[in-house]
Amino acid sequence: MGLIELSQGFKIYNEGYENEVRALNGVSLSIDRGEFVSIIGTSGSGKSTMMNILGCLDVLTHGEYVLDGENVTDMRDGRLSRIRNREVGFVFQGFNLIESLTAYENVELPLVYQGVSARLRREMAESALERVGIMERADHHPSELSGGQQQRVAIARAISTNPPIIMADEPTGALDSKTGDRVLELMHGLHGTGSTIILITHNNELAETASRIVRISDGQIVEDRRRVPA
Amino acid sequence: MNLTQGFKMAAKSLLANKVRSVLTMLGIIIGIAAVMSLVSVVQGFTNVQKEYYERMGTNRVNVYAYSYMSGGGDYSDEIAAYCETLSEYALGVSPNTQIWVDGVRYGTANTRNNSQLGSPPIYLGNEQFAVCNAFTLAEGRDLSYTDVKSYNQVVVIGAKLKEYLFSFKDAIGETITIGSVKFTVVGVYEPKDTSENEWYSYDYMCVIPQSMSRILNSNQPISQYVIKAKSSENTKIIIDLMTQYLERIIDTNTGSFYVYSDQQWIDETEAQYKIYSLVGGGIAGISLLVGGIGIMNIMLVTVRERTHEIGIRKAIGGARRSILAQFLIEAAVVCGTGGIIGIIVGFLGTVVAGKLILKTLLLPSAVMTIFAAAFSVFLGLIFGMYPAVKASGLQPVDALRAD
Ligand SMILES: Nc1ncnc2c1ncn2[C@@H]1O[C@H](COP(=O)(O)OP(=O)(O)OP(=O)(O)O)[C@@H](O)[C@H]1O
Ligand SMILES: [Mg+2]
Repeated sequence: MGLIELSQGFKIYNEGYENEVRALNGVSLSIDRGEFVSIIGTSGSGKSTMMNILGCLDVLTHGEYVLDGENVTDMRDGRLSRIRNREVGFVFQGFNLIESLTAYENVELPLVYQGVSARLRREMAESALERVGIMERADHHPSELSGGQQQRVAIARAISTNPPIIMADEPTGALDSKTGDRVLELMHGLHGTGSTIILITHNNELAETASRIVRISDGQIVEDRRRVPA
Repeated sequence: MNLTQGFKMAAKSLLANKVRSVLTMLGIIIGIAAVMSLVSVVQGFTNVQKEYYERMGTNRVNVYAYSYMSGGGDYSDEIAAYCETLSEYALGVSPNTQIWVDGVRYGTANTRNNSQLGSPPIYLGNEQFAVCNAFTLAEGRDLSYTDVKSYNQVVVIGAKLKEYLFSFKDAIGETITIGSVKFTVVGVYEPKDTSENEWYSYDYMCVIPQSMSRILNSNQPISQYVIKAKSSENTKIIIDLMTQYLERIIDTNTGSFYVYSDQQWIDETEAQYKIYSLVGGGIAGISLLVGGIGIMNIMLVTVRERTHEIGIRKAIGGARRSILAQFLIEAAVVCGTGGIIGIIVGFLGTVVAGKLILKTLLLPSAVMTIFAAAFSVFLGLIFGMYPAVKASGLQPVDALRAD
């Protein structure tokens, strides 16, 4: 049994009304520990919707999602927030940084919720900022940062807790190719240390660096291909 | 997340939204300041009233007795005679009628020239006036039985009036003019009225023999008396006996009377002030409630403004109770700060109102101050609870979508 087990997952908005939208239309997906999966698909195909479900940020309308042997559908808030806090590092498509906090404080926040001591927090948050090369902007607020810099802060926040699973929704979208390559390198580095990586991207070239490529169209998986390592 | 972190987060968000925080506090500040000053002033009134009666001594029975019959209607002799038979219960009896004259003069000093003082109170009394009203002599002698019988034009004056008319000179034996009649000062009473409210101060009074009613009061019948009882039980006995006696001698078709003790009067005014207290406290309480609803409203707006932030916090692992705690602390800090400022304003308001209205130093009671502080924090928790519950129950994705 895999780390991630999504079976017959449906996410339906306005179910039963004429404006019904099936963002996920019967998706089954199994991902093992240590895999590097990229998810590709056209805009509106349901990639973000699926990622939100996998990251326990949203719930299925129908179907079942089991994470690490535990059924997420039945989980209480306490357990769910623990998973979001410790198991999954999530990079959002739209950065989602808190405006009133500095870059450093944003990166520190998951560690605050984890109850990590102040000294260790500083160490871990600074290491994460360094890894994405944004340390010199640590005391700036998101509004004072460029799109690419904000994206790197968002990535730093996701990796600051060293989570076993990293989910990134278009993490290179706002970056130039050089910085984008650096982020991809970082992902591969984390993969090398045993993390499970799930990456959404529009960029076929980036997608092809993954060991497994899943293509989504109209809320359904239309291709699931494993790449033989070179 | 621990409590210190919660406080840090709350402080950060309050400082980031100063205008909102101040507006929120305003409701609480006004509410608490209003409650404190209103209740304090009413309490102050009650206390001033009480002190006033206490200064006049305890166990006093007041008697009003008059008749509408022309020529008659003075029951002084009858009441005095009847009180002789009550000597087992009473220490003394005296007329206690106040009359008004056009100022009191000595040399160039004239009470008319003092706008606050004007005409001091002039009492028609007898040799027992002092004992009945708890006055003690500072110098000279008191009125005597002979003074009343022989129509002696003598007067005993209050300490402050003596100071006003004579300053440091000796008053005994001097002649003062009350209205247009000359009186010889035979005694001065010890001061006892500490109130700055001069116009009703007993320390400015003149006590003259009751028989002087003839020349100073166009011989109007005396209608008010005071009896000093030996104890509070005796007060009740005297009221009963005196009432029975007056029922016998006064025809209620042509006259009327009533008998009551100071205590009854105190009880009645106290009951009245209690009602004022309740009404005033109620009004102030409503303003406090309105302030609280204002807080709730602002908190709700805050939740909408910050739903996105809450979504982020939940998405990166903020548990429901952490977010709940943060909002509750924020609300409590706002209301607590508002409460403290409200208490300070309430203190100042009470002191100023006390000076202006009661002319004494009035301070809110410790109990009320603590109550006000506790209540403001309590309000903060109650009103902070609803938005916090609303905010923390959202799905992360739903919260993130709100923008
Ligand atoms: N709250 C919602 N109500 C109704 N429809 C929604 C809602 N959220 C998403 N959808 C629809 O679900 C579908 C999938 O959306 P999703 O965000 O998963 O697309 P995506 O594959 O991530 O696209 P993109 O590459 O542009 O980010 C879209 O058609 C979208 O309109
Ligand atoms: Mg998307």
